[in-house]
Amino acid sequence: MKLTVWGARGSVPAPGPETVRYGGNTSCVQVELSDGTQVILDAGTGIRGLGLALDRAAAGGRVNILLTHLHLDHIQGLVFFAPAFKPDSNITIWGPASAEGSLQERIARYVSAPLSPIEVRELPCDVHFQDAPESEWEIGPARITAASVAHRGPTLGYRITEGDTSLCYIPDHEPALGVPLDTLDDEWVSGFDLARGASLLLHDCQYSDEEYGEHVGWGHSRLSDALTFAHRTEAERVLLFHHDPLHSDDALDAIYESAAAGWAERGHDPGEIELAIERESLDLRAVTAA
Amino acid sequence: MRLRTRPPLAPAPRPIVALMESAQKPLELILARNLLSSISTPAFLVDRDGVLIFYNDAAGVLLGKAFEERGTMSPEEWGQTFGPFDEHDEAIPFEQLPITRALRDGRPVHAHIHLRSASGERHRVELSALPIVGTESFRGAMAIFWPTADNGAEAGA
Repeated sequence: MKLTVWGARGSVPAPGPETVRYGGNTSCVQVELSDGTQVILDAGTGIRGLGLALDRAAAGGRVNILLTHLHLDHIQGLVFFAPAFKPDSNITIWGPASAEGSLQERIARYVSAPLSPIEVRELPCDVHFQDAPESEWEIGPARITAASVAHRGPTLGYRITEGDTSLCYIPDHEPALGVPLDTLDDEWVSGFDLARGASLLLHDCQYSDEEYGEHVGWGHSRLSDALTFAHRTEAERVLLFHHDPLHSDDALDAIYESAAAGWAERGHDPGEIELAIERESLDLRAVTAA
Repeated sequence: MRLRTRPPLAPAPRPIVALMESAQKPLELILARNLLSSISTPAFLVDRDGVLIFYNDAAGVLLGKAFEERGTMSPEEWGQTFGPFDEHDEAIPFEQLPITRALRDGRPVHAHIHLRSASGERHRVELSALPIVGTESFRGAMAIFWPTADNGAEAGA
């Protein structure tokens, strides 16, 4: 299992000289499974660069896109995803169910006039929309689990497991909304089972502890809650994600220093935690169970 | 990224069944608990089977014991512990309880009932029970109750 971050920014793209190191594109993570199967986590603006890379590698034939939710920073890149404009592409888009309408209907609100020059039905690729099931399902050699997590509106987190290696992706998450996270039993922590014991946890860390007070209920985590969540779920490694668009590279460096210190205070090796950086890759060895 | 420089993962085998064995509460109940724990109006929460899975501090004051001391209770247990009783001091059968009706019928129920606290006092309360429906099924129900003006904490029966 190989992971590449194509966008780690939250809320809105934040390009500019002050964000060149961590990147300004919104949420998109490429996961390449051991057999080459492509799984894409979210379709923020980062998916544009990924689409071009897949195009160059001629690997864009069959793609699964797992959307955590339909906020714009997680779907904005869909109409700029090069494989979607190739007739030989087969794209399945998974996302949260809603009583409001089908997944296709809800995505079509964005992929339609006047917000988009193209309609879903005009895409030349073979595209399918699927509500993420509540039970585990398979994509290639991996098992996929989705679970609702605390954010604004229907929102999922995902767990991708191949062999003994597991990646948990919860980019938008406010597990401590209204209650101190360390006072809750495990069963009452949003996303707990999904993240438990993951080889790598990608988790929301939009705000510093100082900033969070102005953003309670916005659906995102402060640093200390992200660390507590990762600690309690026993994540082996942690990538903090969904950087606030107001956070410059220097500000994120400072958050990293606090994160490493906080992780060490919780009894872990500070080398196990990092902030997600656009275009950085990480190899996770897929260990097949005997 | 420092993580890249670390050796590839080769974790000890960990059965997926063991990873997923705990019964995590549905998100709708987690959020409902967060809400109830943040308000000063007495309230409690049951799951889809009618098991009492939480009541807040205000309810704990009324009932005479905090949830943390009491813990989760089956319908039979909380029925025996708290009553409830109707206007004629008759125990209300489980199937007729407002929160049971809310769960069964999928609609809110409003009622006046009596509750018995841990010390045996009875409290007349006005109660609204609301079903909690997830995307695919019932998740449970919450009940919010108000001690009525004529409460008077009648002596236990």
